Amino acid sequence: MREIVKVERASKTYKEHRAVHDVSFSIREGEIVAILGPNGAGKTTTLSMILGLIKPTSGEVRLFGKEPTERTVRERMGMMLQEVSVMGGLKVKELLELFRHYYPNPLALKEIIALTALTESELGMRVEKLSGGQKRRLNFALSLAGNPDLLLFDEPTVGMDTTSRQRFWHTVHTLSEQGKTIIFTTHYLQEADDVAKRIVLFNQGRIVADDTPSAIKGKITKSYVTFKAKPQWVKLLAGFPEVIDIRQEDDIIRVETEDTDAVLALLFHERVGASSIRIEQGKLDEVFERLTADMKEVG
Amino acid sequence: MKLLLMQCKVEMLRILRNPYYVFWSLLMPILFYFIFTKVVNTGVPDQGEWQARYLMSMTVFSVMGSSMMTLGIRLVQEKTQGWSTLMRITPLPDSIYFIGQMVGQTIIHVFAIAVIFTAGALINHVSLSVSEWVLSGLWILAGSAPFLAIGTLVGTMKKVDTASAVSNVIYMVLAITGGLWMPLEIMPKLMQSIGHWLPSYNYGNGAWMIVRGEAPELSNVWILLGYFVVFMLVSKYIRRKQEAGVS
Repeated sequence: MREIVKVERASKTYKEHRAVHDVSFSIREGEIVAILGPNGAGKTTTLSMILGLIKPTSGEVRLFGKEPTERTVRERMGMMLQEVSVMGGLKVKELLELFRHYYPNPLALKEIIALTALTESELGMRVEKLSGGQKRRLNFALSLAGNPDLLLFDEPTVGMDTTSRQRFWHTVHTLSEQGKTIIFTTHYLQEADDVAKRIVLFNQGRIVADDTPSAIKGKITKSYVTFKAKPQWVKLLAGFPEVIDIRQEDDIIRVETEDTDAVLALLFHERVGASSIRIEQGKLDEVFERLTADMKEVG
Repeated sequence: MKLLLMQCKVEMLRILRNPYYVFWSLLMPILFYFIFTKVVNTGVPDQGEWQARYLMSMTVFSVMGSSMMTLGIRLVQEKTQGWSTLMRITPLPDSIYFIGQMVGQTIIHVFAIAVIFTAGALINHVSLSVSEWVLSGLWILAGSAPFLAIGTLVGTMKKVDTASAVSNVIYMVLAITGGLWMPLEIMPKLMQSIGHWLPSYNYGNGAWMIVRGEAPELSNVWILLGYFVVFMLVSKYIRRKQEAGVS
């Protein structure tokens, strides 16, 4: 697979503040990558560098092996930015036609309409009269106008209702199947988990994790064994090395561990007499919180 | 080339569909013209000359307004609403975008001049020689340069509301003190001497001279040119400073 995006040791410093520090990653053709992180983690700065809107203070960014600002690169890119109100005075259809003219191999208007579910009446509307959700869809349509190979979405589903959100991700899947490379930022962890094949997790201007969602979860996730047993076991079990943490809520005892098998063996070996035993995997939310919280303590 | 044509066409459509433009730059000047030449008896001895002169005043008033306000407010809107960022990521070269805006604005001015001149011809049967019509039209078109520069200056503001309020005030003050609403000669001496140095007076005066069958005074040209250079430099300086702050 060809390499589409390459970020190499990129840093961006604003006066005293380091927005992004020594970040490297590369994205290959056909990948769906989520850039995830809390506010101020460097997501938008990184995306802006990929888009060629800002220059890295040091390091470099290459798209299709070229500078992001080159016209041939721009012709293969489509993007949906946050909070763009499209220019007034034009009808949706006129604006789409105008944008199609900017690209050498535009997508047919029919296809754009089919992908974004814009209706006939919406096409005839002036862009300034559109609702928030309709504007997002128009922005999505504009990003597809040039039939791009690389699509970048900055917080694409903000302001969309559940139905439009589902339809949006469904369309993204279709586009991905056509071989397009897709990068998006989001603060909805569930979305990153569901949609992305790979997550690049940012915190404090650095990449703290870069892997598939399941690998990230597996690597640092907490696992739990929960069961019902007599309350005195809470104290007795706490001393074993397999047990990281143990808590009781109502009549359920919850053991945090890295090795659930060892905990199960322990329960039987010590004749705890546990019932309703369950094993739980941590959620990505927890990984996210833990990774970013750890970093805060260190930094 | 096709791209440039398309861009110009779109820019014109956008201006024409802007209700503020239609109101301030077409309806208001024509209404004023009607009132001050038909309804109110101004008591000037030479009615014909007054009607031609006031037609020029109102056309100048119109083009001056759309240069400062339409352009300025739009620049702020595009910046604050993320539109200029999006345009930067499209393959459309900045130069074509810029030329498209300028050509679009110019054609809109030509249109405004034609509409208001026609209104004058219809309302008062203002009759000028062909060369007077054409030369005064060209003067008004070219003389808009310093006001377009003010427009780009307005365009450096951060908020649309401030930009529209500020440009509106500048617009009205310049129009009145420059003698576009009523002749400078009827104002106090002090106002007159200040007025003679303002861009609006010099802009208007060139057109008034032409319809009187004379050439614009050389000072009109120099003063307008001077304002153009100064406003452009200031606007460029502010822009550079703003960009340095961002990146």
